[in-house]
Amino acid sequence: MTAIHPAGEIIESEFASVAVKLDHDGNAVRLRVEDLRTGRVRFLDALELESLVWLADGHLTQLLDPSHERWRG
Amino acid sequence: MSVMTQQQGDAALPPRPDNGAELLEVPDGWEAREVEQFLYREARLADENDYDGWEALWTDDAIYWVPVDGEGDHPRTTVSIIFDNRSRISTRMKQVKTGKRYAQAPPSNLRRIIGNVEFIGGRANAEGGVDLEISANVLAFESRPRGNTLWGGRTTYRLRRVDGQIRLAYKKVVLVDNEQAVPTLGFLI
Amino acid sequence: MTAVVPSPSDVVAEVQEGGSRYDRLIQPARVHGTLYTDPSIFAEELRKIWHRTWVFVGHESEVPQVNDYVRKQLADQDVVMTRDKEGEVHLLINRCAHRGLQVCDDKAGNSSSFRCPYHGWTYRNTGELLGYPYNKGYGGKKQLPLGMGKVARVASYQGFVFGSLAEEGPSLEEHLGAAKGEIDRLVGLSPEGKVSLDAGWLRHKTRSNWKFLAENETDGYHPQFVHGSIFGVTGSPIGELYSDNSTAVTRNLGDGHSENDLRPEFRGFAEPMRWFGTTPDRVPHYVAAMKEAHGDAADRVMIEGAPHVMIFPNLFIAEIQVFNIQPVAVGECVQYSTAVQFDGGHELNMRMVSQSIGSVGPAGMLLADDTEMYERNQRGVAMADPEWLDVRRGLHRESVDENGFTIGTATDETGMRGFWNHYKSLMEAED
Ligand code: FES
Ligand SMILES: [Fe+2]
Repeated sequence: MTAIHPAGEIIESEFASVAVKLDHDGNAVRLRVEDLRTGRVRFLDALELESLVWLADGHLTQLLDPSHERWRG
Repeated sequence: MSVMTQQQGDAALPPRPDNGAELLEVPDGWEAREVEQFLYREARLADENDYDGWEALWTDDAIYWVPVDGEGDHPRTTVSIIFDNRSRISTRMKQVKTGKRYAQAPPSNLRRIIGNVEFIGGRANAEGGVDLEISANVLAFESRPRGNTLWGGRTTYRLRRVDGQIRLAYKKVVLVDNEQAVPTLGFLI
Repeated sequence: MTAVVPSPSDVVAEVQEGGSRYDRLIQPARVHGTLYTDPSIFAEELRKIWHRTWVFVGHESEVPQVNDYVRKQLADQDVVMTRDKEGEVHLLINRCAHRGLQVCDDKAGNSSSFRCPYHGWTYRNTGELLGYPYNKGYGGKKQLPLGMGKVARVASYQGFVFGSLAEEGPSLEEHLGAAKGEIDRLVGLSPEGKVSLDAGWLRHKTRSNWKFLAENETDGYHPQFVHGSIFGVTGSPIGELYSDNSTAVTRNLGDGHSENDLRPEFRGFAEPMRWFGTTPDRVPHYVAAMKEAHGDAADRVMIEGAPHVMIFPNLFIAEIQVFNIQPVAVGECVQYSTAVQFDGGHELNMRMVSQSIGSVGPAGMLLADDTEMYERNQRGVAMADPEWLDVRRGLHRESVDENGFTIGTATDETGMRGFWNHYKSLMEAED
């Protein structure tokens, strides 16, 4: 395990850097994901995570298109 | 609650009484039979509303706990059906002995079965010793004018020898139906 | 459990001719026993009161985070209180639009969406139908204009969440009327002006009609008798607040709400925190924070203490405890109770939890005895004679206070009469 970051364990590459940890502040546990380059945070609940697991590769690939959300033209 | 409140609140929060201390090996010197005899006696005193006899079983650092929602949340920050220390046990007994604790006047007619007794381990106590932790099932049949009620649960006890006598330091009763609305619990479960 | 009782139409018609059914059953000095025992009246109450007026359901602090949810009860309706991604609180009826299954099964959780276990229909936590499996069977996605049921109107006041199953009617603020000031008083005892109800709920099954509870909550006549056992052994001064010597008043706040106003007694002592059974030096951080929040008014706020108010039909604030009363059947209801937690009041909060555990719930040293009375009352009114319950205590000595509210002494039945007035007006309304 690498150094402990307050936002959780770090998953990073040369292209992105995120931290993930389990969050217990709500009425059930959630996954807290922080984009360390912008500080943007998203919580994912169990049903959302399960849906991600089942996302077809094609769909996931579409999400990676930079113009899909973040840099929509 | 604000972050500030939580931090200050948490700082003052003692460990949970059930699992806040480490579970140790079963301490030496306890016989299953004498332990069971003690549990049966405690049950009979409660069934027969022998309040003085029952109260005398407790140590000074007693905890008598009946949580809601399964094992319950921390009893200092969350409501429980009962969470008595020694002094509140004494108040409870004084109240019922007035004969005007209407929820228990007249007293319930009661009998309970204690079974499935298991030795769980040991817990360090504040006196530097190790209490014996055991657990058992309880099924109690209560009769009152409002009707009959069957109460079931799993009880965890901690026993200690004080001056050669077995004493009760801790009793937590997890009622089977503690996630539902339960009727008045006026007797000693 | 429901005893056989003469039907109200037989009995009461003889007593007094003319007027509406409820004119005959509810009179200024007495109310008829069948109001507590007649299943047809209970069914009418569900329609005209519980499914129509504003009913207390829960508190925003029970769903603190986005996508939190918690199961609640609104009379006979199983309700899911949710907080959506915008932070807005919803009350969904826990029923699938497909074949009516209960969608949520857990008591609480965190999820942006709910998936029904029967055939997988999935809803947003706003109740909107998001999708269903094998959508070709419905001609594709998004073909059905359906969703989970919703409580028609949801509103909150100081974080207390209320629901009304009627599309139209008075606003929550109109319904609360003068009771708003009592909720404000409670919240004013938090240095941050905010309370939380996040200490869990006790659930006390009570074999009694719900109205016995609503009436008893501001009945200042009973404490010395019902609670004498605990006042005696703890040397509690509470009993004296409800005696003929007390300067406390019982106030009809209108709209069915009432209070035991203990402030005159506490003003007499003029000791901050006496209402809480403590002194300022034992809770110094709290007192300092209150002075910071309230300035010169802090002493008055800490002298006068928390309200003791029954808000029609089911929210009872008993100083540091909150009760949510929900009917189950004509002779059964559930009392949900919890400890108030003051944001910024950490010196008080754990003590409020401890005091609440000692006082309320199925084994509470106060409420178990009240509940015994409710249950004996239910058995008593099933008897044939006398048919009436007397509510005239203090009727001859009522007065009107400076704000125009009817008040009686600490032990008068002024609150009950206010309750019945409002009850009658709701029950006489058209179906
Ligand atoms: S009943 Fe809910 S999906 Fe069929
Ligand atoms: Fe009472």
